[in-house]
Amino acid sequence: MDLAKYRTIFIEESTEHFAEISRALLDLEKDPASSDAIDTVFRMAHSIKGMAASLDYAPITELAHRLEDRMQEARDAGRVPDGDSLSLLFQGLTTLEGMVDAVKEEEAPQSAPPALLTALSAPAQRSNPPQPSEPAPPAPAEVTRSAAREPAPRVAVEGATEVTAPRPPPTVRVRTETLDRFLSTVGEVILNTSQVRTSASAFDTKRDSALGEGLDRMDRVVGELQRRALELRTTQLLRIVEPLPRAAREIAEQAGKKVEVEIEGAELEIDRSILDRLSDPLVHLLRNAVDHGIEIPEARRAAGKPEVGRIAIAARREKDNIHISVRDDGAGLDLAGVLARAVEAGVLHQDLAEDLPPDAIAALVFEPGLSTAHSVSEISGRGVGMDAVRVTIESLGGSIELVSERGEGTVTSLVVPITAAVQRVLMLGLAEEIVALPISKVERILEVRAEQIERSGAEAFVLIDDELIPVIDLAERVGIASERGEGPVSLVLTEIRGDRVALASQRIVGQQQIYVKPLPELLSGLRSLAGLTILGDGRPMFLLDPNQIA
Amino acid sequence: MARVLVADDASFMRQMIREIVEAEGHEVVGEASDGDEVVEEFKRLSPDIVTMDIVMPRRSGIDAVKTIIELQPNAQVVMCSALGQESLVQEAMDAGARDFIVKPFKPDAVISTLQKVLEKPE
Repeated sequence: MDLAKYRTIFIEESTEHFAEISRALLDLEKDPASSDAIDTVFRMAHSIKGMAASLDYAPITELAHRLEDRMQEARDAGRVPDGDSLSLLFQGLTTLEGMVDAVKEEEAPQSAPPALLTALSAPAQRSNPPQPSEPAPPAPAEVTRSAAREPAPRVAVEGATEVTAPRPPPTVRVRTETLDRFLSTVGEVILNTSQVRTSASAFDTKRDSALGEGLDRMDRVVGELQRRALELRTTQLLRIVEPLPRAAREIAEQAGKKVEVEIEGAELEIDRSILDRLSDPLVHLLRNAVDHGIEIPEARRAAGKPEVGRIAIAARREKDNIHISVRDDGAGLDLAGVLARAVEAGVLHQDLAEDLPPDAIAALVFEPGLSTAHSVSEISGRGVGMDAVRVTIESLGGSIELVSERGEGTVTSLVVPITAAVQRVLMLGLAEEIVALPISKVERILEVRAEQIERSGAEAFVLIDDELIPVIDLAERVGIASERGEGPVSLVLTEIRGDRVALASQRIVGQQQIYVKPLPELLSGLRSLAGLTILGDGRPMFLLDPNQIA
Repeated sequence: MARVLVADDASFMRQMIREIVEAEGHEVVGEASDGDEVVEEFKRLSPDIVTMDIVMPRRSGIDAVKTIIELQPNAQVVMCSALGQESLVQEAMDAGARDFIVKPFKPDAVISTLQKVLEKPE
């Protein structure tokens, strides 16, 4: 038998099972008598045990077996016992995950800590005995199995066998690597098609109708291929938000706090490349909420709040963007503290600090070098600050903002595009070069006479809507000699970190939908470039990241 | 050569059984991942023999055996169990299952059990 194949399936299936167990344990935390959750953990542990035994992973088999036993007890008793048993089950889960990680690394899984095995093998400590009405036998370990004679809670058969809940459609597993190669090839097809289009424009397609029709058909099919390929690139948000409740629980436990995490909109689909980069920022926001937002139970009680803090992570789709908010009902931001730190860190001059409005103070947390933690805790103090979060979100073409009310809590909201691969861009001519800007970043395009641009030293400004807006000469910024003529100048109004900025170019070339390729390795360090595409004539065109040019 | 229906919620186990029985020249005509699906697939495919996991979502393997035996009293069902599930296996046998195999599967044991059941149908 091909053991490597089964090892791979084992890793995949148990990883999925872990997610389900984690979800079910969190459910049990809210409702220790949830028979669905108890059943799920039981089945998943059982299934992991069976697979591990087939592959001779004795430590995994043993630990999964203990978990299964405990869940069998819970089934018989109709609930998981109170007290430490849930923590114990979480520990068991974390240990199992570690073991499967070892298998992933082609190492032999280590035995579980004996203390954990012992704790899991004794009938769970019943310092709080089950309700007298429940016929739970105080079974010694050897007898627990005989309890299995009581069959599991059953789905009624009652002849009505046709009544079945909808089953998820069949799926196949594909290696991400294979998928990425496929998608990259689709990208090449799309680029080639537009090259063929450009070449064909030299012919009179009206006279050669076969060529014209052929091209139209090709466009339709390629367009369809592109849509399908983009669907393949999307993954449910669930993948990155699913571990969050458990992570929050662990962080809170270490800090002596209690939290409950609610998630909404996890079913939304988003481009995988964006999703992958969204994970760290979300974890960071969650840590912040638990560490700096949610108060310790005593403080919450004193403030008249429920002991358990609430964190709500909600996602919704709006056109081509996904809005995600992380809301906590904690202490809120200490604005005076933020201000003091900003001045201390030299981010802000004392004079300016005097009459800064609250939302501008809140925005300071995104400045580099500003940590609002009173003591850098073990968890938050790992170097990824809010400034890193902002840079990541902005480089994805998104934005982030924070609203906080002292005593009421904090809401951090971020917006990211659903897809990164295909973008509508505005093409700008700079001498012989053409560069592209994401259309989503363009507020307005206008043409002004050269003399309307006022210069003072190296700075340039233009008056638009009674507002003095800084002008950035794109050609100069990109390093192409720009002739400062008398003719009209094309200005693209955009927003950079909340401020309006006008980008000056020599001409507007047009709009186009492009397939954005990642930068080749050699250029990947250039942060002002967000990607490139190949134009119809074979020349490369770079996509600028406006956030990084100013 | 027999037509086999494999029911197990873990695709790991389904593939393993498939590999074992196909190596012996049998045909796996269908797979089911829960207790409802195996009943549906049984009705649709009329297999010669079913390998049935006990612990499955929606409807346990034992309930599925009962339904299948009601549908077709001489159906050949072999239970797949793990160590420690003896009482459940007994319940399944009482409900009409013909025999059982124990996880982790040993190919020889699986084949000889299936062979035994196929050769001596009741």
